Amino acid sequence: MIEVRGLAKSFAAPGRGRGAGWRSLTGSLRAKSAGAAPAVPAAAPRVHAVRDVSFDAPNGRITGLLGPNGAGKTTTLRMLAALITPEAGTMRVDGIDVVARPRDVLARMGVLSDSRGLYPRLTARENIVYYGALHGMEREAADARAQDLARMFEMTALLDRRAAGFSQGERMKTALVRALVHDPANIVLDEPTNGLDVLATRALRDSLRWLRSPEGGAKCIVFSTHIMQEVERLCDSVVVVAHGRTVATGTVPELLAETDERDFEEAFVKLAFVAERAGAGAAP
Amino acid sequence: MKRAITAVWVVLRKELSDALRDRRTLATVLVSSVLMGPLVLLAISGLVASLESRAEQREVYVAGLANAPTLRNFLERHTYVVKEAPADFEARLRRSTFTDPVVVVPADFEAALVRGDVPVVEIVSDSANKQSQASTSRIERLLGGFSRERALLSLALRGVSAQLLEPMQIEDRDLASMQTRATRITGMLPYFVMMAVLYGALNAALDTTAGERERGSLEPLLMNPTERWALVAGKWGAVACVSVLIAVLSCFSFLPGQWMLRSDTLAAMFQYGPREAGLFILILLPLAAALAAVLMAVAIRSRSFKEAQASSTIVVLAISLLPLVNVFDLGGEAPWHLWAPALAQNTLMTRVLKGEALGLEQVLIPLAVCIALTAIGVGYVARELHRAAVK
Repeated sequence: MIEVRGLAKSFAAPGRGRGAGWRSLTGSLRAKSAGAAPAVPAAAPRVHAVRDVSFDAPNGRITGLLGPNGAGKTTTLRMLAALITPEAGTMRVDGIDVVARPRDVLARMGVLSDSRGLYPRLTARENIVYYGALHGMEREAADARAQDLARMFEMTALLDRRAAGFSQGERMKTALVRALVHDPANIVLDEPTNGLDVLATRALRDSLRWLRSPEGGAKCIVFSTHIMQEVERLCDSVVVVAHGRTVATGTVPELLAETDERDFEEAFVKLAFVAERAGAGAAP
Repeated sequence: MKRAITAVWVVLRKELSDALRDRRTLATVLVSSVLMGPLVLLAISGLVASLESRAEQREVYVAGLANAPTLRNFLERHTYVVKEAPADFEARLRRSTFTDPVVVVPADFEAALVRGDVPVVEIVSDSANKQSQASTSRIERLLGGFSRERALLSLALRGVSAQLLEPMQIEDRDLASMQTRATRITGMLPYFVMMAVLYGALNAALDTTAGERERGSLEPLLMNPTERWALVAGKWGAVACVSVLIAVLSCFSFLPGQWMLRSDTLAAMFQYGPREAGLFILILLPLAAALAAVLMAVAIRSRSFKEAQASSTIVVLAISLLPLVNVFDLGGEAPWHLWAPALAQNTLMTRVLKGEALGLEQVLIPLAVCIALTAIGVGYVARELHRAAVK
């Protein structure tokens, strides 16, 4: 179970890194030597990637994080994986605070992140077992689990090939199995269908449905996407994110009812577009 | 804690097998650092051997031999073979196709000698032609002997003691032991071994940091519940292991290398056995550890392997240039040498080659410097790891 409340994060605007810092430093020194009061440094331009994101993802459900490009989905998931620290808000995974106990949270979570690089000189099996071992699994156990998952994702033939020559879909599957090797209760996937063909996407959907079911372990699954069909076909509930804010939450029928639309794409555009105007209005 | 140590081991094992599978890079490093040393040693021994054989040949080339029967008589009495120099010897000396200096005797040599007119005899060599340059001093000594003999004879005829001509006697006494003299030639050996350590660490260090960023595998790696320092320690351990492995190969490659030495004198002077190789490795262990950490710290800031290669140039340059202070013998051994990494190791290895004992201070200072560098490097990488992953 994952609970996220009021998450916010901003970054220094790119392109004005060190030079800007140097200029502001020399500027403030000059101001000091001129006898002026040490001015509050002029607020550096910041990109507010996430302003206010909240959602609940219960066990045995698939929660979709739907939003246009640049809405803050990847930043949110990176904060959830304790890779970056939020400026505001709380995140709890199975009741454990992410910021306070990041390693305990990561042990209960399988994350397929935005970058999903493999080690090209290792075989798929070695890539997967390495992560199992980092999760504290015995090598044999990790290997057995890799075998099971490979069967589920139909990649048994890949297991003993080196990752160097893998296609995008093969890399994706290996990364997914690698993220699931320690049988986590919570699964977080950042745009998992990117680069997958129709068959692979279908297989992934089936696997996620199975993982959601009681016999699959009733996992809590969160996945981010910008593809409407994924959400319609798979998600039990949808969190619409735009301009770093949660703008709507509910099941697909609920969102359709809320926007008075019959087509989910139209509903989404309405929600995100309204948010965009609101976001533009709120921006300084 | 126990789990973190297991994680260090897991990371180290993975990184090692990953690095050892990078066959092409390993082969390049092996050829450039492990084979190069013995090859250069062989080349030098060939050169020394050819100089020695030239000295043994006892040949003198003279232009205008017919003008100087007295000189010829003197040279032949000293068991030298006197040969007429080729007509175009100057051009050939310049082109380095002729490798002996030539004695040029003027046409009126004998007559001038009898008259006491001090004839001028030239020894012609080309300072750009190293081999001709090498035997010049030998010919000079030989001709000096001829002058002295003539002088002694004239004095004896006038009943003057020969000692008047030489009111004092000069004798050389070289304090250098056989081994010390040998280090003038074998002094480059520590340098080659050190380059092996450097290039052994370089690729592995860049691959586990900047390479990991470039592949996009650093972000998922940090989503494992492993302590940061354990990840970095494992990576650092693997890089240091690869570096030490190359160093061991390089140190031992000189053992068979010296069996093939073509110069007997050089072979006799070259004191490098398994004991020296072992000491070399002990001296290099801390350097390998420190280099691994420093290179990783430099590379973690780079987004790609290529960028990391560019920024690590400074480290590579420093490690390559510092030992040259010793090689060029700039001002002898100074206390600060022990505080500079690479230079300190070079100094210590040179002492081992000279057969001198290593003092406690000489061992402890470089060790402390390397431990400090390792700690700083590993700490920095651990601190930067998260920032590097998301950028």
